[in-house]
Amino acid sequence: MMNERILKVERLGKSFKDKRIISEISFEVHRGEIMGILGPNGAGKSTTIRNIMGIMYPDEGSIHFHGNSEIPRHKIGYLPEERGLYKNVNVMDILLYFAELKDYPQKKAKKRALEYLEKFGLAGKENTKVEELSKGMGQKVQLIAAIIHEPELLILDEPFSGLDPVSQEVFKEEIKELAANGTAILLSSHQMNMVEELCDRLFMIHRGKKVIYGAMEDVKREYANFKCTIIGDNPEELLRNIPSVHRVESKDDRTILYLEQDVHIPTWLRELPGELNVYELIIDRVSLHEIFIDIASDKNMIVKEGVKHA
Amino acid sequence: MRNSWKVAKWELKRNMKNKSFIISLLLTPLLFIVFASFPTLLEKLEGEPDSETVTVYVKDELNLFDEVNSLVKSQDLSWKMEEVTNDSKKILKKIETSDNQAYVALTENAIKTGEVKVFISNEMPETFSSEVQFLEAPLRQVKYDQLNLSPEVVQSITKGIEIKSEDASTKAGSGAENPSDKQSADDSSMERIIPGAFAGIVLFSIVMTGMMIFQSASQEKKEKVAEIVLSSVTPGDLMQGKIIGYFILGLVQVGTWLLLVVPIAAWRYELPIVEYLFVPELLLLLAISIAGYLMFAAIFVGIGATVEDMTATSNFQGIVMMLPFLPLIFIGPILANPSGIIAQVATYFPLTSPSILILRLSLLDQWPWVEIIIALVILLASIWLLMKLAGKVFKTGILLYGKNATPSEIWKWLRY
Repeated sequence: MMNERILKVERLGKSFKDKRIISEISFEVHRGEIMGILGPNGAGKSTTIRNIMGIMYPDEGSIHFHGNSEIPRHKIGYLPEERGLYKNVNVMDILLYFAELKDYPQKKAKKRALEYLEKFGLAGKENTKVEELSKGMGQKVQLIAAIIHEPELLILDEPFSGLDPVSQEVFKEEIKELAANGTAILLSSHQMNMVEELCDRLFMIHRGKKVIYGAMEDVKREYANFKCTIIGDNPEELLRNIPSVHRVESKDDRTILYLEQDVHIPTWLRELPGELNVYELIIDRVSLHEIFIDIASDKNMIVKEGVKHA
Repeated sequence: MRNSWKVAKWELKRNMKNKSFIISLLLTPLLFIVFASFPTLLEKLEGEPDSETVTVYVKDELNLFDEVNSLVKSQDLSWKMEEVTNDSKKILKKIETSDNQAYVALTENAIKTGEVKVFISNEMPETFSSEVQFLEAPLRQVKYDQLNLSPEVVQSITKGIEIKSEDASTKAGSGAENPSDKQSADDSSMERIIPGAFAGIVLFSIVMTGMMIFQSASQEKKEKVAEIVLSSVTPGDLMQGKIIGYFILGLVQVGTWLLLVVPIAAWRYELPIVEYLFVPELLLLLAISIAGYLMFAAIFVGIGATVEDMTATSNFQGIVMMLPFLPLIFIGPILANPSGIIAQVATYFPLTSPSILILRLSLLDQWPWVEIIIALVILLASIWLLMKLAGKVFKTGILLYGKNATPSEIWKWLRY
């Protein structure tokens, strides 16, 4: 099921006046997978998504849904980054309206709306005006509005922003369940822990261009090298001369050594200078968050093409 | 178009469920009725003493008592008629010491001298002196009878001579005047004014609800719903849907008002409003109203998409909201001369054209068809252009979050 391609974005490019916003963006989203689209603010994520949704039109490239260039909007669910609901309208009316816009039968929509409201702890709120709901409740209603019509492809732009931890958990579980039931999900988020936990594959974009694209495990294996955290007072000169280290970050008595690729840890540990003052030593992988920060801050711009789709 | 209907249905539904809209829908005709009946009510309160019954003693030497009595009844006068045969001095003394009493002597002498003396109490309703004038007609008839004048002569004398000025062009087309001309002229003016007033109300109402498009587009931005909606429909569908939705809402509003007000107005003013309303001219007047609505709706929906915070709306957007009231400055000169140069210029200028056309067509006996056709062509071209421009502004403006667009930004979008 995971190999059925739902969405194919090919060499997408968009400019506003003379400013290039995105270029050469290509990726695919498959049935039942959660594909993460990452990048710092202004990288071009929302522009890419808006082009897929037909809210904007690309200058170059193509978008195919099930191999067709005609994008059936009613088969796509969308939760934009900038989102809200009509305030002086009741919850059921809004959900039915969004379902109707997607050509989804009203009777079925009503049934699903009631089911979801109950599932998200909003049972009995169908006739409540949106302005009377708490922020968290409103966000749950927004998610229901995006999925009420049983979309084949669900696009979530920063779905966790502004959510309290409880609501985050509800959203996370629902996203997992939707994917398990065959919905293809394109998820844009800044919350790397969520992306790491949820996504099967990821596409990282920086300054409008692809920087990483591949399966989560491959990306981690490829980019997330080891790092060694040493706690203890050591002269800077000594730390810099440690072999196979491509970057050193020090603060007080805490030093992080970012190791080069393919370092054999036991050998590297044996080669550490004997005069090194070590109170505590931790070896672990560089997290997705650190890769993201590295890329976003251009500290260690990694542009690799080799990561294959799982 | 299917998506536009969905949006239109939604706009209609959410407004019809909105309490403030329902209140204004019902309150407006209620206020109209209150304002229309308030002066009469005040008049009645003010004139309360006048409605007191006046006892009128009549000395009848001319055998007119029954005729006068039936006239009093038909004119609904608060008179209590009493025929007197006894000494008039006694009656006059009684009148002198009482209120609301009068003595009328219908005598041969009165016919001869042409003067009827009416003696009244100190305290009398103010209207009595005008009410009593109706006695002139039966007394005049007695005089004619005494002179043995034939009914034809009497009719000729009583008709009098009327000096009347008339437009030469009207006269040329209308041919010879016949006796029913006056009545038919009255009818035709009502046939013009009532449909004109109706079209004016339709235009006013739908332009007012059209202003709600401005709020609706702005609200969609403020509440950040636009992008969700635009993931299902195109900006064009959304814009069209809003225009159609608020048009129907305007018609619902007019329909409700008329249902409540027309029967009351017809009863109060005793006018066959429905009969005067459904004349062929109404179709053209309604078409002009709809054209007016479409033009202002295009402006409002486009500008509404540039405003997120109504309270921080710049002067530019404020001025745009005033545009439907522009024709008000021409009303005076047009009422004075509906075919004058100001009237013609305002007819051709798109922003004033709908209201001015309706006003002029309600005033003129002969419609200036060439002017109407030119004005409609200009109006339709303007609607087409404004819709195009509004589409450009709406498409970009509706997705601009966090601030109101400046006029220079709007200008850029128009050229993009």
